[in-house]
Amino acid sequence: MIRLRRLFLAPAWIITAGLFLAPLGIVVVYSLLTRGAYGGFSLPWTAESYTRLMDPLYLPILLRSFWIAGASTVLCLLLGFPLALFIARSGARRNLYLSMVMLPFWTSFLVRTYAWMFLLRDTGLINSLLIKLGVIHDPLPLLYNDGAVLVGLVYSYLPFMVLPLYGTLERLDGTLLEAAADLGATPWAALTRVVIPLCTPGIRAGSILVFIPCLGAYLTPDLLGGGKSEMIGNLIQNQFTTARDWPFGSAISLVLMGIVMALLFAFVRRDREGLL
Amino acid sequence: MATAVQMSPAAVQPTGLRPGRLLSFYAVAAYLFLHLPLLILAAFSFNSSKFTVWEGFSLHWYSAAFHDAELAEATWNSLIIAAVATIVATIVGTFCAYGLWKRNSPVLSGSLYLSLVTPEIVTGISLLAFFQAIFRFLHLQLGMHTVILAHVSFSIAYVVIVVMARLRTVDVNLEEAALDLGANEWEAFRYVTLPAIWPGVIAAALLAFTVSFDDYVITSLVAGVDSETLPMVIYAIARRGVNPVVNAISALIVVGLGGLILLSERLRGGRTT
Amino acid sequence: MNRRSFLWAPAMLAGCARDRRPRLNIFNWSNYIDPQTVPGFEREFGCRVRYGIYESNEEMLARVMSGNSGWDIVFPTDYLVKPMRLNGLLAGIERERLTNLRYLDPAFERPQWDPQLQWSVPYMVTAAGIVYTRKLVPAPTAWADLWQDRLRGKITMLDDPFDVMGACLKKLGGSINESDPGKLRTAQSQALEQKPLVRAYINAEVRDQLVSGDVLAAQMWNTTAQQAIDATSEIAFAYPSEGYAVYPDAMVILRESRHQDLAHKFIDYMLRPSIAAANALAARTTTTNSGARKLFPESFRNNVTLYPPEDVQARGEWAQTMSPETQRLRDRLWTEIKSS
Repeated sequence: MIRLRRLFLAPAWIITAGLFLAPLGIVVVYSLLTRGAYGGFSLPWTAESYTRLMDPLYLPILLRSFWIAGASTVLCLLLGFPLALFIARSGARRNLYLSMVMLPFWTSFLVRTYAWMFLLRDTGLINSLLIKLGVIHDPLPLLYNDGAVLVGLVYSYLPFMVLPLYGTLERLDGTLLEAAADLGATPWAALTRVVIPLCTPGIRAGSILVFIPCLGAYLTPDLLGGGKSEMIGNLIQNQFTTARDWPFGSAISLVLMGIVMALLFAFVRRDREGLL
Repeated sequence: MATAVQMSPAAVQPTGLRPGRLLSFYAVAAYLFLHLPLLILAAFSFNSSKFTVWEGFSLHWYSAAFHDAELAEATWNSLIIAAVATIVATIVGTFCAYGLWKRNSPVLSGSLYLSLVTPEIVTGISLLAFFQAIFRFLHLQLGMHTVILAHVSFSIAYVVIVVMARLRTVDVNLEEAALDLGANEWEAFRYVTLPAIWPGVIAAALLAFTVSFDDYVITSLVAGVDSETLPMVIYAIARRGVNPVVNAISALIVVGLGGLILLSERLRGGRTT
Repeated sequence: MNRRSFLWAPAMLAGCARDRRPRLNIFNWSNYIDPQTVPGFEREFGCRVRYGIYESNEEMLARVMSGNSGWDIVFPTDYLVKPMRLNGLLAGIERERLTNLRYLDPAFERPQWDPQLQWSVPYMVTAAGIVYTRKLVPAPTAWADLWQDRLRGKITMLDDPFDVMGACLKKLGGSINESDPGKLRTAQSQALEQKPLVRAYINAEVRDQLVSGDVLAAQMWNTTAQQAIDATSEIAFAYPSEGYAVYPDAMVILRESRHQDLAHKFIDYMLRPSIAAANALAARTTTTNSGARKLFPESFRNNVTLYPPEDVQARGEWAQTMSPETQRLRDRLWTEIKSS
């Protein structure tokens, strides 16, 4: 029983150890060094990058990022669940519909974001349409605010929610729903008390796959938020580019990763099953 | 080949399970939301003006795209990298998910969690530093191989998560039953579990391909002089301001890949798996 | 983007395989060269060139910082030359090998960042000012004009700490290279005051919104503005009356380069007046080569955005390398501005 499992896990072990853990170790080392005089890193060893994070400047940034990531995740769940349900029930055309979800995401992320900027601008499509239809007089400020950032994030990460949800919903045994109906359940009750509990693994997987990238996002807040609302992703990005402060950037990243891991651990410990 | 136990309910779908009117209506709206930016992009790829003010129909952005050698090379690179990385990551990830499903390994699953949680730029910088350190001894340089390795590295966690979500819906006892009936471990996996999780594996592969094809941050850091990818080229053009060549490229990609998918659907004969 | 006309990749990949000629890898800003320059160099010197482009110094530096990137020549902005040198990234320039140095503009023969030109050779110059649509009346002429309440939600600033702080410092009558913490904080308060009026912190992408009317005025580099002006006469550029930042770019040879001789030949080639003129005309930029300027057509030589009159030039101030402490303070101030 064990031998096959070892064989199956071996490639993952090698890749994870070599291409993830070892490089991560280097980042840990960086975080304990000092910024080189003109960028990069140098001795001496110091924990200063971590103590710098205690500054009250950084907490609101972190909280804002958590809020936006959380809101995006919830929206993705609400929007993605019915879509995944639809695809799972589509019979023969399942793979086609699934691919249609992925299709927009094979164009460049940047290009899609620009398309949204075009749609949401004051002179963009949505405002122009609304004004032409007489619904509003002055253009709505749809761009360069948190709302636009949410739209951009939800749009970008919807497939990450739909795919795992579909994975579990597809497996759903139709006879269970028949049984529920026979026992007098309304479709809504069948949904909330049969379907949703059975696809919790998919919900959890999708939520993680959406929440985490949203937390670290920097391009979307920059482009759709107008760079006016700094998120933790922007802060980290800035350290590795303009500020050239690799130790500080590494420290922020590790702290962020630590917080998220702690949350995941708490989230997972709640139930018997882990996510992975 | 032993007859696979037909576990997928799709073949015996009761009528109550077809998507209802409301759900279908929602799906149309959702697909519209997903494809609206695409349609806009496509519309403006035919615009003769450079700006987003319609000025007339023109194909010259497409001609510009076709005549760009750099673009052609970048597209080719992206496709190769994504294909290789997807295949490797899906195989390794599926096996890994299966192994973890049998019995969890806290260190391995913890590392996979961690790799998900790492911001892209950190992954990129760490891999860059790592490759630098190794290449000092091996006298190699950054190139396609480093990009592929990087893509495999960050895709595996996605594959594991998606396949694992599917595995959790499979009854553990099925494999036990197969073993009792005389199958060995490999046969139990190959003929019982694998068919049951196959849609999850496909979903995972699609996700891995998307993540790889679209990646910019990590790729730009570990790509060498010769391994420019499509996102890198598109970013470069797009950041200089709106340029319909980018629209044309996007439209071409969508039509190309979309066509491939339609073709593969047709070839499979719409069989349910 | 209009380089040679090929068809798709496989032919190219196959063809590349057997080429024995030496290959020079050049990493430059986008739209910063005439399309014929590189092919001309390849033909004359019997070599191949790999020409890559980048959009920002940070992008270039991140790739080059490791010392093993594969590039031979890059084009940093002046204030990066010293940090790159101190990080051991540069191979020196041997002046004797550059016969065309005499064509350099006198103002750039002994530049502040590299007085002996031992490490870099000046290339083109960019300045930061105000680009605006002609619909805006009266037209902006000073940084202070970007603080007007009537422009609320219709102005943008560059997403760059040095540029934004530079505008604030100039508005207060100071130097863009200010290092005094007190003065920097005062400048920051200006930026914080302005933030509610700012539509977004955005770079070259704002051009589209200027044309469509979403944005009326923006802080922008003159070369980017010129490209917009080329496309439509609705747009104009102004050099603020309080003064502005100037950013010369320079060619440097990386220490990791295995073709230093060929690299020198390339730099010398780029210094030829005819080549420099072609580059400036194609890229729509300000050249540091006075020999090239003599070859310009009248209209380009007098282009107000790229070649402003003497009195305007006098108001320009070159960007300089900051000390690590100043850098750190400025980073923090920028984070405070962005997250307020």
